[in-house]
Amino acid sequence: MTDHTADNALRHEALWRRIPGVVLILIAMVAWFAIGNPRFLSGDNLANLGLQASLLLMLALPMTLIILTAGLDLSVGALLGLCGVVIAALLVAGWSLIVAVGAALAVGLIIGLINGYLVSYLSLPAFVVTLGTLGISEGLALAISHGDPIGGFTPSIEAFYRSTVGGVPTPVIAAALFCGLLWLILYRTRFGNYIFAIGGNKEALHLAGVKANLVHMAVYVLCSLSVALSALLLLGRTNSAHPSVAVGMEFEAIAAVVLGGTSFEKGQGWLLGTVLGVLAITVLRNGLNVLSVEPSLQVLCVGLMLIVALLIDRGRKGEMAGAAG
Amino acid sequence: MTSVTHHSPTAAVSRALSPDSIGLLVRLGLIAAICIFLTFVSEGFATTDNLLNILRQASLLFLIASGLTLVIIGGGLDLSIGANLTLCACLAAATIKATGQPMAGAAVALGCGTLVGLTNGVLINRLKLPAFLATFGMLWVAQGLAYRFMAGQTIYGFPPGFRTWGIGFFLGVPVPIWIALAVGLCGLIFLARSTLGREVYFMGANETAAVLSGIPVGRRRTLLYALSGAMAGLSALVYIARLNAAEPGIGEPLLLPAIAAVLVGGTSLFGGRGTIVGTFLGALILTLIVKALNALNVDAAWHPVVTGVTLLLALLADAALNRGGRK
Amino acid sequence: MTMGPAPAIDGRQAAPLLRLSNIKKSFPGVDALKSVSFEISAGEVHVILGQNGAGKSSLIKVLCGAYLADGGEMEVDGRPVAIRGPADANALGIAVIYQEFSLVPYLDIAQNIFLGREGAFAKAGLIDKAAMHAAARQVLQQLGLTYDTHTYVHDLGVAHQQMVEIAKALSQNARILVMDEPTAAISERESDRLFEVIDRLKQRGVAIVYISHRMKEIMALGDRITVMRDGAVVGSFLRGEAAAGELVRLMIGRSLDGMTRRAPVGAGHCVLSADRLRTAKLQDISLDVRAGEVVGLAGLVGSGRTEVVRAIFGVDPLTGGNIHLDGAPFTLRPDASIRAGIALLPEDRKRQGLALPLTVGDNTVAASLWRLFRYFRFIPTTARQVCDDLIARLNIATRGPGQQVHDLSGGNQQKIVLGKWLAAGARLFLLDEPTRGVDVGAKAEIYRLIDGLAKDGAAVLVISSEFPELVHLCDRAYVMRDYAIVGHLDHGTLSEKAILDLAVHP
Repeated sequence: MTDHTADNALRHEALWRRIPGVVLILIAMVAWFAIGNPRFLSGDNLANLGLQASLLLMLALPMTLIILTAGLDLSVGALLGLCGVVIAALLVAGWSLIVAVGAALAVGLIIGLINGYLVSYLSLPAFVVTLGTLGISEGLALAISHGDPIGGFTPSIEAFYRSTVGGVPTPVIAAALFCGLLWLILYRTRFGNYIFAIGGNKEALHLAGVKANLVHMAVYVLCSLSVALSALLLLGRTNSAHPSVAVGMEFEAIAAVVLGGTSFEKGQGWLLGTVLGVLAITVLRNGLNVLSVEPSLQVLCVGLMLIVALLIDRGRKGEMAGAAG
Repeated sequence: MTSVTHHSPTAAVSRALSPDSIGLLVRLGLIAAICIFLTFVSEGFATTDNLLNILRQASLLFLIASGLTLVIIGGGLDLSIGANLTLCACLAAATIKATGQPMAGAAVALGCGTLVGLTNGVLINRLKLPAFLATFGMLWVAQGLAYRFMAGQTIYGFPPGFRTWGIGFFLGVPVPIWIALAVGLCGLIFLARSTLGREVYFMGANETAAVLSGIPVGRRRTLLYALSGAMAGLSALVYIARLNAAEPGIGEPLLLPAIAAVLVGGTSLFGGRGTIVGTFLGALILTLIVKALNALNVDAAWHPVVTGVTLLLALLADAALNRGGRK
Repeated sequence: MTMGPAPAIDGRQAAPLLRLSNIKKSFPGVDALKSVSFEISAGEVHVILGQNGAGKSSLIKVLCGAYLADGGEMEVDGRPVAIRGPADANALGIAVIYQEFSLVPYLDIAQNIFLGREGAFAKAGLIDKAAMHAAARQVLQQLGLTYDTHTYVHDLGVAHQQMVEIAKALSQNARILVMDEPTAAISERESDRLFEVIDRLKQRGVAIVYISHRMKEIMALGDRITVMRDGAVVGSFLRGEAAAGELVRLMIGRSLDGMTRRAPVGAGHCVLSADRLRTAKLQDISLDVRAGEVVGLAGLVGSGRTEVVRAIFGVDPLTGGNIHLDGAPFTLRPDASIRAGIALLPEDRKRQGLALPLTVGDNTVAASLWRLFRYFRFIPTTARQVCDDLIARLNIATRGPGQQVHDLSGGNQQKIVLGKWLAAGARLFLLDEPTRGVDVGAKAEIYRLIDGLAKDGAAVLVISSEFPELVHLCDRAYVMRDYAIVGHLDHGTLSEKAILDLAVHP
């Protein structure tokens, strides 16, 4: 049937369109850094790259789910700091690791429930709600830590962070497993279907008899919980908890998602695109580190890269629209 | 007045009891309540010096929140004001240090702030980015530029002539209060007595209808973001003049209280509703809450928590009050 | 198009699949449904015909559980039932294909068909995709469709999305399918495809409630046709019992009794002249409007009338042709149009015309700030005076300029939109359904105002679905069908019948 082939053509075109500008940027960057600095592709640096990417991945992947629901979570950076402080403070006070992590998960659960309830059931704008919980998390972290770094807790976290399995850093494996898990959830469960539906047509989900608000809230809870777990990676990296160490990570997480081609509208997006976005940001920062560009300027470069990627994608989409219209 | 307007008593009553005036009364009542509380709890609260000091602090918050008020009334949002303030502060501080000319610093701060605001407007109008995303990105760009510019340094020690802007007095009243009064008056005139203000309310309430009524929505939006940026620049000047120092961490903590002040002041995030006076009262309420926390010996670390909770409560109230008029 | 002999309805009439009797539904100030009765049998297509606001949508909403009826009885298979919510309707096998689809753009066809019912394919919490796609293909096959079920719905055209929607309903074992203007946004070829699918559905015993404005397809498809007007059934016919013209006459209703036609005026100079306008949708639209003239733009809903005025006002970009105002070209952009003296009263006043949370005063001066005030200086007393004048001139029932527009009635809201343009000093008025959703009294006032505008020398172009209204109001009229102008009626030839003949038949 002619219709059938036309549909197939459409699908391939869509696939092509879904390959975001970030891929081009990523390839260009890797080539540039590798030529500029032979150490860039060394095993050490690649392991380092993986470690850096793993934490960001843990934040950016659940952020993808939230953005797919046409929402946003600005509180992840502050919450990450808070959970780190909670775990560290409990460990220093002599509690076991399980209790400490459990407490951090409880904190994540509460913040996630607040975000999710206000955004889904009360339809409040996500960016202001999560800005509020950002302030709350930041303040709580400061209050618990009195503004000082907390160190001197069990070395097992750092040992875990530094360990490798078959030459691959354990955190990288953990992040990869997490990615696989989220992929399964998003593409192989009904919960995943409903996430696309909330961003694309929440009314349709209501009509289908699904508790759409509950699902919507669960996405925020999921994000906050994975942030709480990610605090372990943060502690392993810095071996101390500082309340404001993760400030701004929400920006990189959101940037990674947007770089990966996920849109704030219609539930259009791609989980693996976020992985590419995370890689692009990590490679950029790593490369800039190797070239000893200072961190503040790196943030700027991330922002610029985001704009470039958006321009590339927009330009191409404009072409498509022009061709279609 | 020659116009024959007939004011029936009922019309006067209904006007006096309009939602706006009730909101005003509620806010004034809240302020009175906190003040009475503080009079009893904290010694030396009800002194002229202390009250002027509180007003001065509220004025600083009001300055940065006033530009944001305009943006939100017009249906937008500016998350970059805090970082913009930081950048302006650093650039202005360096300029004043280098030239010794406060006016040169002022020009740099206002210029930089306006430029950042204009860029926001362009990103939103041309790239069609959502306002929160564009200004959130701008937050980090401005922050990064500020860190880069300062390179880990703090600039401190300004000429006395400049410090007057932050700590001086004029006719027995702190200069920042005068500045806030002037800005408030300008804002009031802009919103209530200029055609631009009318257009801002209209496009905030219904952008489609605004376009079909011939309001150049894109240009007006750019103007609002530019004004918001300029206010960040002005606030930066007053701020560093008071602190006598500038470093790249000063502006970012102001974003949350500024948004909270705007919402507490009754400006709706759904656009088309809000006043400058409300924002001033909102700033005053937030300042008083901090004073009350201090009086109760609450650790300063809890301030963002309370501000965050206040923001969420104001958001809930806004949604409850404004949803009826919309759906 | 011949559809063969009419199916034997008589045999089935004994036990209709669905019967509604004396259904009532009212909202504050409006009786949406005044005792409506309706029935449909298995394998039957029952067309409901009516204008916007005739009560079709309310009836559908009662049927699918979105509204709770205030009174009346419902029977399915001869047993009384109550529909208290969408779940009840679903359980009874009633499904609605809305104009705005309940599909998720970035889920594929299979996921959309089984949205909310994935449990049937779950294995250990994961969805068995192969089984789901197989099931989806099976459903599509019943409709004779061969889509790749992995395609995102977003990448499908409207017509294909509609098919997916139908497949979705069918997969839920729908026995009664309600189609709300299914051909409004699809091409003729796609419509033929849809009719084939409807045929298949009929053969499977599905009852179809079909809503449309297109007479050709209504005559071809409808086994039974019910005409609604003002919330009541005004006629019900079996196939072949009524001609298209008669149906439309019933639909658009009474002639305006006792209303005299506008006296023809000696038209002035040509204010608006459009020459072969083309946009993404419109085809070669040429028309002109003179000073002191009221010109009608007639046609059924969806014939492209709104698109014409939007193009003239500079909202939708032209792809060809040109427009002259007083013989000179002008910039096509809303703000430039307004300064040139053009006014557009949009068809949806709440979404496009008014800022509901703002006051009467704010709304009346919104389009004339540039004209009333110089140097951006807004003077409240001036604005108040302008507003007070308009309230008096248009007889707007309001507490005053300070009242929120949200609280006013439809007629008064419409007068405010009109007032906005009077304040802006417009000379060319483009009025899109100026009397939609306003009560009879306000209608008469709006007619008088329009007449007054023309007498004062303005040029007026009026869009209306109510043909008697156009005949009463206009000096002459253009008639549209399928995004093109198909005829022009001057004062001598303008009549309801003439409009009908042009608007309905090819």
